[in-house]
Amino acid sequence: MSQPHSASPNRVLLALMPVALAALGWLDIASVQPNRIVPGQGMNLWAIMGPAGVLLALLPLAVGGLAWRATTLRMRWALCLVVLAMLALPFGLAAFCRAFIDPDAPYARVGLAAGFWVLLFVFMLALIEFKASLRLPRGSWWGLGALMLGAWSLSLASGALDKLALMQEYLGRSDKFSEALVYHSLLVTSAVGLSLVMGFALALAMRRWPLLERGINGVLSLIQTIPSLALFGLLLAPLAWLADRYEWLSALGVQGIGAAPALIALVGYSLLPMTRNTFVALGDVDTGIIESARGMGMSPSQIFLQVRLPLALPVMIEGVRITSIQAIGLAAVAALIGAGGLGTFVFQGLGQAAMDLVLLGALPIIAMAVIVDGLLTALAGALRQGVRHD
Amino acid sequence: MAPNKRHHPRTGGLGMRNDPAILSDSDLLTWRHWSAPLGWFAALGMLLVAMPHLGSLFAALDPEAREPIYRRDAFVDLLANHLLLVAGASSIAILSGVSAAIMVTRPWGRDFLPLVSQLASIGQTFPPVAVLALAVPWLGFGGLPTVVALVLYGLLPVVRNTLVGIGEVDPATREAARGMGMSPRQVLWQLELPLAAPVILAGIRTSVTVGIATAAIGSTIGAKTLGDPIIAGIINGNTAYILQGAILIGVLALSIDSVFARLLPSRR
Repeated sequence: MSQPHSASPNRVLLALMPVALAALGWLDIASVQPNRIVPGQGMNLWAIMGPAGVLLALLPLAVGGLAWRATTLRMRWALCLVVLAMLALPFGLAAFCRAFIDPDAPYARVGLAAGFWVLLFVFMLALIEFKASLRLPRGSWWGLGALMLGAWSLSLASGALDKLALMQEYLGRSDKFSEALVYHSLLVTSAVGLSLVMGFALALAMRRWPLLERGINGVLSLIQTIPSLALFGLLLAPLAWLADRYEWLSALGVQGIGAAPALIALVGYSLLPMTRNTFVALGDVDTGIIESARGMGMSPSQIFLQVRLPLALPVMIEGVRITSIQAIGLAAVAALIGAGGLGTFVFQGLGQAAMDLVLLGALPIIAMAVIVDGLLTALAGALRQGVRHD
Repeated sequence: MAPNKRHHPRTGGLGMRNDPAILSDSDLLTWRHWSAPLGWFAALGMLLVAMPHLGSLFAALDPEAREPIYRRDAFVDLLANHLLLVAGASSIAILSGVSAAIMVTRPWGRDFLPLVSQLASIGQTFPPVAVLALAVPWLGFGGLPTVVALVLYGLLPVVRNTLVGIGEVDPATREAARGMGMSPRQVLWQLELPLAAPVILAGIRTSVTVGIATAAIGSTIGAKTLGDPIIAGIINGNTAYILQGAILIGVLALSIDSVFARLLPSRR
């Protein structure tokens, strides 16, 4: 068991550290590529650091040793080691770039190899385990996250990592990247905003006319079942036809290819989780509370706005969370039908077999989803706590 | 095509727990019970047969297209390959997902429970397209990276729902079963898994639905699926191809989903 005060071994860390050790020992950590397309020469720890690399291998051994008798104190030390390693990662990469890239070769670049990703993954898993077994205050995890973000942005901003293949792709199209980032977020925000308003209206309608509930639920789950690529395709034809037919529609920017079908499809997919969560949230409020509000002489609209809505808010935010994460991923697919956004880089990269371009699109999409997930979960938690204390 | 979406007992919120645990066998064996899925599959079959002969209809829809019907591969082959990818990936995902969830809920594997459950919920926030794209540098183009991405992504809802389902079994019931002399293995097979079955099935449903959608996008990385006509249509500006692919994928997804809808107890 992961009890913080027992001195039994932490088996999770004991299982993870050999994986880290194996990645350090056998897998290529990074590679040196002469240009964009050529795969490049992979290098493992020994090739990079020589005998000094053995010192690095001591790190997982030390964490494993500390985890052998996992008292709270020893686990805290192990956590410190893992955090230090993760903070050192960007600086280590910067040192690698300086040592192995010839400054006179303009197209040479550093690729990240399997070993790097495995190490990163193992360290993340270790952090999750620390989070579960060491009950540190919530703020300290936010602090650690900020620290790591700081280390990465510092080394990225200083230009020390410019020779990283990912950065080379970025530097070649930094304008387009920020444009795509803004556009992606705009697409997601407007889809979530629209579906929030529409979902709220639908949920209210379902509360007023219970007969509607079945029909609305049926239609919305039907839309959700249709794969996104197909729905985009199905919208493309009628929209192109409409825009062809009516001048004013095409003047508004409606056309078969582009943002219009993407936005319609995103709203269509978002409506089910939004409507369902709002409906359930509004209905779940304790009738006793509503009764006592009525007894205090509140009018129906006051009861709705001051009692029912605030109490329903955490569950509604859960709906917003699911919808946003879903929309972030779907907006990436929408790039296929010319809607723009970060998915453009993914599909361009796949088309050109330039994997770092794929990464340039995929990593921010994942980061966006994870950050939105964390923020909205925290918001719902805070609101829930507020309700409990009042 | 979506993380954490519907059929999720915790987020869907429509009181899965109050429903009858599972349909009785006699309900499952009547023709009437299966009429909706049968109808959908019949529609799918008819579309497959009729599609190549609808040239004049599609030519009317998109008069500029030189060739109104997608002919690079037969629709039947594309459908079979699409289904094969999803079926293969889903069976691996279901088998390993359910076993992993069972392992971490046993006394000897419980150390790994927080890690696995956290991983399953964080992983579900990763968009399937990103997972699909990230499989390419590692495995190249074609069917293999698609299957791997489908397995990785399909695992998460199965693991998560199995954990939720087993976790929702009342400890008192478990104690009672053990008190009656049931072995741990019997408790698992005769108590925990049957009680968790509806929630696990809901997870499998999400996993398969996402799989069908993601496999369609797999045609951008060289897997042969029903997404091919759509991608070809987008590239060539041929709306007829797009419609043919989109209609078939849509009907396929609805057919498979209607089977799950019949296996799961209704939400009423």
